[in-house]
Amino acid sequence: MDSKRKEQSIAAVLLTRAHEPDEANRIFTEKVQQRPLFLAPSSPPRSDARAARRRAQQKKTQARKKALKPKPLSAAQRRKLGLYDIPREGQKYALFVPLHNLWLGYIRELLGPEIYTGGEGAAAKLCSADFHGGEVEVVRSGCVSRVGIKGIVVKDSRFAFEIITPKNHLKLVPKEGTVFRLQVPAQPAVTTTTTTKPDGITENQETDRAVAKESDTHDPPPSMAFEIHGEQFRFRSADRASKKFRAHFSKKL
Amino acid sequence: MLPFSAPAVYQASKCFVTYGVMGHLDPKQPPSKSKPWTTLASQDFIHRADLIIPQQAYEAVQDVLIKDKPAPQFKRVFMSLADILADNFLEEYIKKRNIMMLSEGRRGIDNVFALRQGTLTMFLDKEAYERAGLVGKPHGVKGKRGLKPRWVVEFDLTASSMFPGKKGFDRLVYASKNALSTPLTWLFCSISDDTPMPDPLDRHHPTTLSTTPNVSQGINALTPTLTPSVDSIGSGGEAREEFESFCTELYEWLSLVRLGSPRIQPGDQIDPYLCRYHVPGEENQQSQQLLCKINWQGFLAPSWARQTLIDIITALPSKTWFSFSTTTFSKGMAGDNAECTFLRPQDSSPVEYILWEVKGHE
Repeated sequence: MDSKRKEQSIAAVLLTRAHEPDEANRIFTEKVQQRPLFLAPSSPPRSDARAARRRAQQKKTQARKKALKPKPLSAAQRRKLGLYDIPREGQKYALFVPLHNLWLGYIRELLGPEIYTGGEGAAAKLCSADFHGGEVEVVRSGCVSRVGIKGIVVKDSRFAFEIITPKNHLKLVPKEGTVFRLQVPAQPAVTTTTTTKPDGITENQETDRAVAKESDTHDPPPSMAFEIHGEQFRFRSADRASKKFRAHFSKKL
Repeated sequence: MLPFSAPAVYQASKCFVTYGVMGHLDPKQPPSKSKPWTTLASQDFIHRADLIIPQQAYEAVQDVLIKDKPAPQFKRVFMSLADILADNFLEEYIKKRNIMMLSEGRRGIDNVFALRQGTLTMFLDKEAYERAGLVGKPHGVKGKRGLKPRWVVEFDLTASSMFPGKKGFDRLVYASKNALSTPLTWLFCSISDDTPMPDPLDRHHPTTLSTTPNVSQGINALTPTLTPSVDSIGSGGEAREEFESFCTELYEWLSLVRLGSPRIQPGDQIDPYLCRYHVPGEENQQSQQLLCKINWQGFLAPSWARQTLIDIITALPSKTWFSFSTTTFSKGMAGDNAECTFLRPQDSSPVEYILWEVKGHE
């Protein structure tokens, strides 16, 4: 009896503590003594040719489906194709001035009478406005060499503005830590149009003659100036249209 | 001395004491290379200067310092930085002549501008610096900079690149028009003698002020011994400590005389609960003397201080002791300033001197 007890393994002893002797015995024989020992436990089940063919076919259809789905270009592809670069002949400030005038008209239309009063409503509308063609000036920046850059926005990407300066330089100004200032005159500027009469004499017509006379004697025409905090503005112009902006206290300011 | 960089942590004001011997003073060639003179020149804008002499020496200096010497003039003017960079002012005053200017404000708190020896130094806070767009260096103790660092920007306006039309100068003008455009009160002092004929400063209506010396005579004071015992300083140890305590107490006494304190008067009875000051030295070493104090207060140049010291040394008889101190404008938030006190001891060789130099943190 004693020798039998000594021969009992430790697993059997522990099992007798938890279960009834018959149960313990059964568990010991089935799960411990007759435990199956896998020779190659993690190798996958051997596939036959049929399964292999089926898998190859599935992979092919999935790849084809994926290739057919339209996908946007990756950043590297974009840079390589140079789709969004402005060609050297196009980097002229004069070319973008008509765009700027269009933009001024767009902003005046967007703001309406709020261009005179400013305030929350005007700010909300401006937040969702598009700034391509706006004339910006960098007014404050953590990187001091950017201060003073002035020009027309030709590209408004997620993290930067691409600006063309009057000297025909294209500058990429990151939005981080930078404050931009834009100015929109409330009235369209006085325009002079030349009309050629049939006998070839050109005549200048001045529109808004009364406005011109007024502006000679009074201050420059009223304009609305606003500043954009680039830190809070790091969204693509398309994404900004539906975004609600909340005022955040910036640690850097 | 090894050149040490600016301290990274805040350091309290320090006082450096020098006991030395002056070289021979040649009135035609004012000295500038040796110790008391370099200390005087290293101060930037002097606010106050005091001279303490025994009463009997007053007649000797009266003519030289008060009657014959022209009182230094300075002007107070209200203008903006853009006015200083305007063509005529820049050319007439900054490029051709030597001037110094200081704007209102305290350095750790407001935006302060200082112009000295052709260098414009601007102490700006973070917003002004970022709006100005000029390259500068961080200013202030490293530990205190944190999220809102302060900056100092320097420009050498006498350089050949500082003309309108050049890029660097145009950036400075842009900054002066946009970010630093508020007009401030400035103190202006011209170190060169001549003034330009159509004075560019007249447009801003300056107020001219002159620093006439203030004389207080017949100060009855209990004077300690004014001669240091320097025989055994070199051997170090106790003699050195004794000299240190002698200098400290003597400096304290001189400061009390400058302040016009009643504690130095003989027979001063004050409750020891309020003040425990005693004139240094034993009873037999103290003497009762009549002193005379001459005080200049204004916007003074270090070259004026140097010339005044030379005049004093040449005017006074060689055995008379005197003390000349200059104090600068305060720099930091705490308002402490740099100071330099020069004492020629009594009963010593006329070329010996003790120099106390108090250097602030900034």
